[in-house]
Amino acid sequence: MTDTVLEIRDVHTVLGGNSIHRGIDLAVRRGEVVALIGGSGTGKSVLLREIIGLLKPRSGRIELFGQSVWDATPAQLNLLRRRFGVLFQDGALFSSLNVEDNVATPLFEHTTLPHGTCRQLARLKLGLANLPADVAKKKPSELSGGMRKRVALARALALDPELLFLDEPTSGLDPISARAFDRLIRLLADSLGLTIFLVTHDLDTLFSIIDRVIVLSNGRVLGSGTVAELKQLDDPWLSAYFAARTEEASPHGN
Amino acid sequence: MTARARYDAAARALIASGDWQAEAAAALPDMAGQPVAVLDGSALTRLDTNGAWLLLAAAGLDAGAPMPELRGFTPSHRALIELVAQHCTATARQPDAARDGLRSLTGRGAVAMGRHVAGLLDFVGRLTVESLALIGRPGQWRWRELAAQVRDIFVGAIPIVVGMLFLLGVVFAYLLGDQARKYGANIFVVDGILMAILREISPVIVAILVAGRTGAAITAQLGTMKVNEEIDAIATLGLSPVAVLVIPRMLALLIAMPLLVFIGDVAGIFGGMLVAQEQLDISSHMFVDRMADVLLLKTLLIGLVKAPVFAIFIALIACRMGFSVTRDSRSVGANTTSTVVQSLVAIIILNAVFAVTFVQLRI
Repeated sequence: MTDTVLEIRDVHTVLGGNSIHRGIDLAVRRGEVVALIGGSGTGKSVLLREIIGLLKPRSGRIELFGQSVWDATPAQLNLLRRRFGVLFQDGALFSSLNVEDNVATPLFEHTTLPHGTCRQLARLKLGLANLPADVAKKKPSELSGGMRKRVALARALALDPELLFLDEPTSGLDPISARAFDRLIRLLADSLGLTIFLVTHDLDTLFSIIDRVIVLSNGRVLGSGTVAELKQLDDPWLSAYFAARTEEASPHGN
Repeated sequence: MTARARYDAAARALIASGDWQAEAAAALPDMAGQPVAVLDGSALTRLDTNGAWLLLAAAGLDAGAPMPELRGFTPSHRALIELVAQHCTATARQPDAARDGLRSLTGRGAVAMGRHVAGLLDFVGRLTVESLALIGRPGQWRWRELAAQVRDIFVGAIPIVVGMLFLLGVVFAYLLGDQARKYGANIFVVDGILMAILREISPVIVAILVAGRTGAAITAQLGTMKVNEEIDAIATLGLSPVAVLVIPRMLALLIAMPLLVFIGDVAGIFGGMLVAQEQLDISSHMFVDRMADVLLLKTLLIGLVKAPVFAIFIALIACRMGFSVTRDSRSVGANTTSTVVQSLVAIIILNAVFAVTFVQLRI
């Protein structure tokens, strides 16, 4: 199956008088793990919010599973929302619910399963997200940042979406947790056949788990391809971006 | 394709077909606890983790039953179901948490109440120490913050105070006038209105309005600052959160409340005056003349003396509840509610104490 899951055509966005996107075109095929990168303020998160139906672009077309997001009726949009999961930057867990109920909330709302079964399924997702069984009854405020992200990932997986959006999944994590999170994402993508679209700044994520990278610059897509292909592009921001890692890798002083 | 499943009792096999997702739960046959030795997935068209778990749970895997033999699954479905099977032990059905009995609820409530009072005392102590330290150093007062708070608390509340007290004055004069007219005691309505508005209604109603309007706002604002770690940031910069946030608000309330009560007095008397003119034929000249005869300065002062006391309590409760917010969004709401309730209770109790004290002192 190589059909297109996400397609964006000629999207223009103006926010507060600033032109953010000036004609973005991109497509993501089923089963791909795609990263969106770009300097601060290039509208990566804005684009993500437009894709998931939270922010309306000025013009252009965004299609998920062949259905236009911004022409869909509310009922169609809700059906569409069941087919993708979103991991927000800070997890966005509901602070008044315990971990288990956080993960079970999409199941409570969108399925007819009894609540006991929903909670059992929630614990399955927590297990898939590599969390120990004893976190299920804790409150989000009692967890570390890395655990909160994994709970949020488990919630994003609750309805078994085909497509997963991740907004800076490794930001705020220490390097060890960040790499473990990367491996977890890749493992889930492979074993559950997920398509993953993530916004990131993390070079290590790009080098380890990504099939394809899309670069945003000056409101347009600058390029798309593997990291090796992108390194061939002649762009000052991109060169500086990749140089940051080579500097880090080379020994200092001796 | 819709999900279907049937149980073959002879082979002890559960045979599933179609799209197995969360909604497929309804398709599960009634197994009545019979063991499942074989799971047949040869006719499955789709399988996700929710569907896989439902099949495994039907085979009793979440309750510790052995893994059934998998038959006819495609390699990817088999991999998925094996992945889910690894995590099945964590999904065992758990008993509902025991509910607290009356005794433990009472005990917990008492402990929480004790902590609450201790926390309030601690807060009052810190506030006193910081205030005393600031008295000798007017240069360190937050004049700008104070002015901004007075504007918010005083100017912003004038319309609602005028509106409420005017209407209360109208209602009070109307009801009182209705009674007084039966005895031909029309002119004494003026005495009654003055006494009631100045001494009781205006201070209490203004305090209630301020508690609901400003007290809630202070708690919500300080609580959100606490959640965003802004208060920690203030402390780390070497500033005292009490001096920066609490003292300006408390002083602003101290300044604003008596002024609001006075404005409320005027609005209430004006409302009463209108009704007296329309209903009892007491012209505004007669009303003012009578006012000059019977209004004692102490009646006005009693109302104005209550105001700063109410203000101190509202400020104390609101700031303290704001600071005791924990880092989740629900506690901001809970503490804001608590501020309003505590303030109202405090106002009513204080008002009763004032009433008894003034009577005992023959004021």
